[in-house]
Amino acid sequence: MDTLTHILNGFAVCLQPINLWYTFVGVFLGTIIGVLPGIGPSAGIALLIPVTFGMEPTSALIMMCGIYYGTKYGGSTTSILIRTPGEAASVMTSIDGYEMAKNGRAGAALAVSAIGSFIAGTLGVIGLTLFAVPLTSMALKFGPAEYFTLMLFAMTAVASLAGASPAKGLLSTILGLMVATIGIDLQSGQPRFTFGVPEFQDGVGFVVVVVGLFAVSEVFRGMEGIFKGTAAPMLKIKGRLWLTREEWKRSIGPIWRGGVIGFIIGVLPGAGGTIASILSYTTEKRLSKHPEEFGHGAIEGVAGPEAANNSDTAGAMVPLLSLGVPGGGATAVLLGAFIMYGIQPGPLLFQTRPDLVWGLIDSMYIGNIMLLILNLPLIGIFVRLLYVPIGILYPLIVAISVIGAYAINGSMTDLYLILFFGVVGYVFDKVDIPVAPLVLSLVLGGMMEQSFRQAMTISGGDPKIFVNSGITISLVILSIISILTPFILARIKAFRNVPLAESE
Amino acid sequence: MADRVIFACTLVLAGIYFYATEQLPTLEIGDPLGPKAFPRLLGVGLVITAVVLLLEILRARKTASVARGDAHPRDRGAQLVVAGVAVWILCYFLVFEKLGFVIATTIFLIGLTSYFNRGKWVANVSTSVLFCLGGYLMFTKALGVNLAPGILPF
Repeated sequence: MDTLTHILNGFAVCLQPINLWYTFVGVFLGTIIGVLPGIGPSAGIALLIPVTFGMEPTSALIMMCGIYYGTKYGGSTTSILIRTPGEAASVMTSIDGYEMAKNGRAGAALAVSAIGSFIAGTLGVIGLTLFAVPLTSMALKFGPAEYFTLMLFAMTAVASLAGASPAKGLLSTILGLMVATIGIDLQSGQPRFTFGVPEFQDGVGFVVVVVGLFAVSEVFRGMEGIFKGTAAPMLKIKGRLWLTREEWKRSIGPIWRGGVIGFIIGVLPGAGGTIASILSYTTEKRLSKHPEEFGHGAIEGVAGPEAANNSDTAGAMVPLLSLGVPGGGATAVLLGAFIMYGIQPGPLLFQTRPDLVWGLIDSMYIGNIMLLILNLPLIGIFVRLLYVPIGILYPLIVAISVIGAYAINGSMTDLYLILFFGVVGYVFDKVDIPVAPLVLSLVLGGMMEQSFRQAMTISGGDPKIFVNSGITISLVILSIISILTPFILARIKAFRNVPLAESE
Repeated sequence: MADRVIFACTLVLAGIYFYATEQLPTLEIGDPLGPKAFPRLLGVGLVITAVVLLLEILRARKTASVARGDAHPRDRGAQLVVAGVAVWILCYFLVFEKLGFVIATTIFLIGLTSYFNRGKWVANVSTSVLFCLGGYLMFTKALGVNLAPGILPF
């Protein structure tokens, strides 16, 4: 009953004109960020943090979450019209979406992705509303050892699933944790790894790392693309922005299934929107009566993945809000934003600031309605953004990154750091080291070390505390499984391939 | 080849990180573990990562026998362009506070757009100037955020 009252109060918060305005600004900017190649949700949120200084935390967080789920709507537009995902999770949409556009059904592809995103996005928020509270009651039993092992699981899951090589994912995770140790140690007051740079005493800000890794490095890749001339030709929107009866009949099943798949994948740490949309795509192809149409403009190949990557965002908010532990790069940036406002997400937040939590969750229902309007009748406005020459767009992204990084502390060190991390992100991309694990562990690093040291203090220095309760044992086992799974899968694959190769 | 370089770098980094950790002075008052414990754990993690990486390299050698060819000349050209952009950004940062956001960013943008959006001078110059002036006024006057004024009086 209490929860129901809080949910209703949340609507009272998010329906205040100022919060409605910030929901709109968030989803509007999210759609733009999603449409434009070059900035994804992580960099988009990080760049806007300085702009939100001085704002009421609830409004600021409503806006930043709006950016997060808004990008998923916008990402499909570029996938469909120029075969370039505006946002990584829309990669599957670019296969059949672009083919549909080539066949003159761009309007239908855009419509099904907007409607699918709306249905699945709303389904995801209903899931978030239902599951967040039960998880908080479990999380209230968590001590430092449980939190440490939970963060360990989140990191190992992201490390092993973020790229093709678990070792490289692990390397990225540890590098993030190492960066997190730079600065004054909060428990002893001892400066660590500051290399004599006074600015490093406060640590390396996650905003500069995210902007460098996600925006500046993307600019480098984009400029490389311009030089090579690898961009696909842009297709015009043809036909009405609506579906035929047949298309609608074919889409509704994939939308529901994609919504459920996306939400479950979102709640689990590590996988994220890209894997959710791949899973949905393969599921639909398997279930389809016409699997041969996939890759040549099958509407199910757009409806399912788009639904999945939208409900994934609501799913990903479940562990972030109820446990305070994000399961991916973009939610890690959101956690960083929460912390910058002095708000620690987790079970206690539901008790101390129900207005903020439920105002935020309920704003997602409103935001999804706004996004449907922005992405269906008004999509033509956003499509015009794609006519901005990328030779102008990428330099502007650098300048926006400079504003975002410099505005925080007015420090030149931060500017050099975005360049440094931009180069790191570019090189990592070339050698297949994923960067999402680095961001997650950078944001969680301080909390993880604190939990580790608190747990060890409680146990008097005995590491057995990390395998003392059912929860910690399960989380340690899950961490080991998540690291070993890629190796076991590779073994099984190799084993299956041997007889095939021998028989050839 | 790249993986072997990553493996070597990981080991070197682990060595440097262990050394730097041991150099940290400790005042173990009220904190039995001290500030070195967690970094030591990370150092061990880095060594484990190197071992896993080595296993992956050995496994890849078994499965893949086809050697990759040399990089395409176009790829090398593109990488040179990226290096040039990075140097241009560095030059921009070096003069950022001296010249101020508006002037430094305008020069930076005109330089970059004239290479990547060649021949469209009017669009490039007008976008650069309008963006810098508009952005500067919006952030400093409307949002109260400090952006280096440099030699400009406002």
